[in-house]
Amino acid sequence: MTDKTVFKRFAIGIIAIWLVLFALVPNLMVIIASFMTQGESEFIVWTPSISSYQRMLDPLYLQVFWNSFYLSAFTTVLCLLIGYPFAYLIARAGPKARPILLLLVIVPFWTSSLVRTYAMIIILNANGLLNSTLLGLGLINEPLQILYTDTAVIAGLVYTLLPFMVLPLYAAIEKLDWRLVEAARDLGARKVRTFVSVIIPLTMPGIVAGSMLVFLPGLGMFYIADFLGGSKTTLIGNLIQRQFLSARDWPFGSAASVTLTVTMGVMIWIYLLSAKRANAKVEV
Amino acid sequence: MIRWLSLLLLAVFSIGVHAAERTLVLYNWAEYMPKSVLRQFTKETGIKVRYSTYDNNEAMLAKLKTVEKSGGYDLVVPSSYIVERMRAQDMLLALDKSQLPNLKNIDPNLLDQPYDPGNTYSVPYLWGSSGIAVDTKKIDPSTIHAWADLWRPEYKGKLMLLDDMREVMGVALRVLGYSVNSRDPEQIRAAYAKLEELRPSVKVFNAESPKSVMLSGEVAIGQMYNGEAYMAAQENPRIQFIYPKEGPMLWVDNLVIPKTARHVPEAHAFINFVLRPDIAKTIAEDIGYTSPNTAARALMSKKLRENRTANPTTEDTAGGEFQSDVGDALSLYEELWSKLKTSE
Repeated sequence: MTDKTVFKRFAIGIIAIWLVLFALVPNLMVIIASFMTQGESEFIVWTPSISSYQRMLDPLYLQVFWNSFYLSAFTTVLCLLIGYPFAYLIARAGPKARPILLLLVIVPFWTSSLVRTYAMIIILNANGLLNSTLLGLGLINEPLQILYTDTAVIAGLVYTLLPFMVLPLYAAIEKLDWRLVEAARDLGARKVRTFVSVIIPLTMPGIVAGSMLVFLPGLGMFYIADFLGGSKTTLIGNLIQRQFLSARDWPFGSAASVTLTVTMGVMIWIYLLSAKRANAKVEV
Repeated sequence: MIRWLSLLLLAVFSIGVHAAERTLVLYNWAEYMPKSVLRQFTKETGIKVRYSTYDNNEAMLAKLKTVEKSGGYDLVVPSSYIVERMRAQDMLLALDKSQLPNLKNIDPNLLDQPYDPGNTYSVPYLWGSSGIAVDTKKIDPSTIHAWADLWRPEYKGKLMLLDDMREVMGVALRVLGYSVNSRDPEQIRAAYAKLEELRPSVKVFNAESPKSVMLSGEVAIGQMYNGEAYMAAQENPRIQFIYPKEGPMLWVDNLVIPKTARHVPEAHAFINFVLRPDIAKTIAEDIGYTSPNTAARALMSKKLRENRTANPTTEDTAGGEFQSDVGDALSLYEELWSKLKTSE
């Protein structure tokens, strides 16, 4: 009995220390730095100021935020449109096929996403696999210009983030009480009506969870936009990185980072609220 | 990961190192020093080398400042503009030239530059330039002479620029006849306006591996480092490197001793070792950038020595400027660079 509590305390203690050291302290440092001033020879001068946050309101930086949000939102919608039918089919597949299909969704995680992005460059470039195949088959006469366009960026983001959409959707659809669907049909609802009024509301937690899991990491994946889009747009990630590595403006970089974290926090809060409401509805 | 592991191993082993043993703590760019050179140094002098690496100047500077009080690194390899900043912040130790007889091997054209007059604190390690690379299958190289040629409308969507603020702003500043190190806000703004005209032509910004972008056939013309262009030409002779007549952008990485160094005589010994012609030759051949060591160049094969991409003549680099610190103007550069990359 006491052994158990000792172990429990030990395990919790380790995790607590870990979180304090590597999550709480660094985040506090970032928050404090964001309210300080930039210095010439020191990275941070201990003069409190909110000028870094005022700078965030510059139209230029608002545009940077907008670019990131737009790209991430567009990716989320595409992932949802592709991921929903996909997850539905997996959930409805036979009990033998299901684990295999799920495994196939997870397999890409075994390789680093950076490596997979490089692979996409090799496939998409002018002398790449796709173009040489199409040219070889005589389907096109000139190489398609895909790499370094918005299409390539979106394709890269959707490819990388799709599993994050499929897995929670699968979990939600698999849990679905099919008797309710049958009841809807018995009561005369057509397929579309059943889907819109019964299946979608019941799987809403999965839809919201998947969307969050795609949208939030999407905001940070600036390297995909850099590699596949040719670094032509500044995203929040680029902005933050540059403030620390080349602009020497740690307070501004911290302020941008805090703004991003707060925005994400608000979104997760909205998610929790909506999940609560969805659950409440189901119970009624 | 391997880098961290090796650091950890180094740390573990160094606990057992006795005070009597001579050591040197070298902090260098990643993949910037052949292992054989370090081994040979230890063999000849008995001085053990503890080696760790960084990926960019600012990270190195931050690390150096955090260990300032305890001391730690005996030798670091900053780029020219960082040497200037470190000098201004009184972070560097003046070199004892009497311990560096091999300094005579260095090309005088690379000494006594504005970032360190008289080379009081720094010795050039490797240097390079950026100019224009052309895929000769798509563009006749004899039509390209200057940075200004990049602005021709026919290169729309076929152009690559380095993903580097100072390099790209530098091109526009040079085209307008200003210094690449300009601190004048009006000149910097004018350079930005000039770049806005060029922006629609740009297909890709890349500084990581510009050679692979050109080799993959994505772009026909672009800004490139000479070392990258040299390697690209090895792979595909169609790629030609041109030194623009306004002058290429020049950079140089330098060996310096921080004030907090604990093994000063050992650091001098290492600098002098690296300046030896045979060692400098090994380094240049292995790393692929240009050696500032005239005596080392004489030892290279005729083919490499006369390759102007790898070993430019003074005529090639005429008009070129080394990057130096831009001080407070940096935030204006940063702002305009973000703006350039945000406008569609």
